[in-house]
Amino acid sequence: MALTQSASRRVAHGIGGVILLVLIVWTLAPLYWMLVTSLKDKSEIYGAAATLWPAEPTLENYRVLFADTNFLIYFRNSLIVASATTFFSLIIAALGAYALTRLRFPGRRFVARALIYTYLMPSSLLFIPLLIIIRSIGLQNTLEGLVFSYLGFTVPFCTWLLMGYFMSIPIELEESAMIDGCTRLGVLLRIVVPLTVPALAVVAFFSFTLSWNEFIYASVLVTDVDVRTIPTGIPSFVVGDVFFWGPMMASTVISAVPPLVVYFVFQRFLITGLTLGAVKG
Amino acid sequence: MRTLAALFLLPAVVVLTCVVLYPFAYALVLSFQDKTAGLPGRFIGLGNYAELLADPDFLLIFGNTVWYTGIAVGIKFVIGLTSAVVLNQPRRFNNIYRTILFIPWAVPTLIASLVWLWVYNEFNGLLNLALVRMGLLKYGIAWLAEPEWAMRAVIAVAVWNGTPFYTMHFLAGLQAIPKELYEAAATDGAGDYRKFWHITIPTMIPIFTITLMLSTVFTSTSIVVVNILTNGAPANLTQILPNASFNITTSAGRMGLGSAINMVLFPFLVVFIILLTRRLLRKDEA
Repeated sequence: MALTQSASRRVAHGIGGVILLVLIVWTLAPLYWMLVTSLKDKSEIYGAAATLWPAEPTLENYRVLFADTNFLIYFRNSLIVASATTFFSLIIAALGAYALTRLRFPGRRFVARALIYTYLMPSSLLFIPLLIIIRSIGLQNTLEGLVFSYLGFTVPFCTWLLMGYFMSIPIELEESAMIDGCTRLGVLLRIVVPLTVPALAVVAFFSFTLSWNEFIYASVLVTDVDVRTIPTGIPSFVVGDVFFWGPMMASTVISAVPPLVVYFVFQRFLITGLTLGAVKG
Repeated sequence: MRTLAALFLLPAVVVLTCVVLYPFAYALVLSFQDKTAGLPGRFIGLGNYAELLADPDFLLIFGNTVWYTGIAVGIKFVIGLTSAVVLNQPRRFNNIYRTILFIPWAVPTLIASLVWLWVYNEFNGLLNLALVRMGLLKYGIAWLAEPEWAMRAVIAVAVWNGTPFYTMHFLAGLQAIPKELYEAAATDGAGDYRKFWHITIPTMIPIFTITLMLSTVFTSTSIVVVNILTNGAPANLTQILPNASFNITTSAGRMGLGSAINMVLFPFLVVFIILLTRRLLRKDEA
């Protein structure tokens, strides 16, 4: 006995609602735990009296984090590295993407292909030779060395995304500008860039978070405490086998905030941006 | 125009040659060398590879890598498709639910791993506290130390962090399917179930392929989750190749052997990379 169309649709809708609830709990539970732990006193974090929500919320963990650890140094370093990487990748990628979409030259297809190959090349494969190279040019233990290495994964990705956007700009706009005497660089700066601001924002977000999160290169290229970034700095809060979970969770809250804020503010752009670049239907 | 193109591309080409192409060639060479940090390398042919094959742990780790990647990718696919289908149903406040389900994508993997490390804590973690208080467990389980649980716990974190990537792609794919297709099928008397299997799934196949391949490459080569949660423990049961290479290189300084470990994975990656490049470029020209 088959259900009527509308009844079966209502059932599907109900099941969908239940699944959604489960997925939301699964998604939020660890984040809830992170936030709540960061606001708890030691006695509420550990032992038999451990609570599922803070009875007496306190900012003590945050005070410890800023006063007694190097967190601010790591945070500052991450900010510098991620901003510098984003800045350079935007310039390099915009130039490259423009050449690959608008200029006809021999080897264009080859370069486009090589770009994807480099994008898919895992950093876990490259970190050993990269360590030798960075060391030999004297950039070990410097933020410059990290920025230079990070361009290896941000540039191909950004160029690839930007190519998709640049292609969507009507070429007639550029042609008429050039008839009016505009140079290629002028076209790029005055027409293409202003028209693709949302796209550039998306690309900037990706290169910022990619470099903000990077772990492998940061662990091998940098060993000095004062050039460590968040991904290698926070795990070092563990002393021996002892984890200081309160301050640790406070640090993860603060480190997750910048990407999350950008995500909430720009999510419409990010999602259409990502899917435009990666999935065209 | 050629000079201009060359000028525009020069920075990208220089950077990528220095930090990707040259290091890759170098990694290949290193894998045939006995090279320790600070000392000159000595060519030993297939010596590193022979050493790996003779090591029973290596086969275990190789198997783990395949298992970890396969299971994580499979679960991410299923949850991602389910989420996308549910989010695509007409429902009030849908954009809020979507925003929530995409959050793990914006959480850095390192942060996610540290948070889960705390959720899994044997004595004070959320998972054990909740299970014990609900009466489902008498004592907390050391999720990351029990041979039976460790790999599952690690995979769960990779799934938590990586599913939104699938959901996003699949949701965009679902929304791009022309309504007319469904309307035509409805006129032919097809129900929702048949529409799903005969229209939705076939139309989505190109998206499935690209997402799965990209995710396989990223999952099998990312070390953060394993490195932070277990670093391979207990007894290498959760160890995967890239993290083994990382450990051997950073703690023992054996750069030649470390490169060889990664190179073992490379032939498999190459297949994916070539297929993916072909698909991405074809899509690009359409």
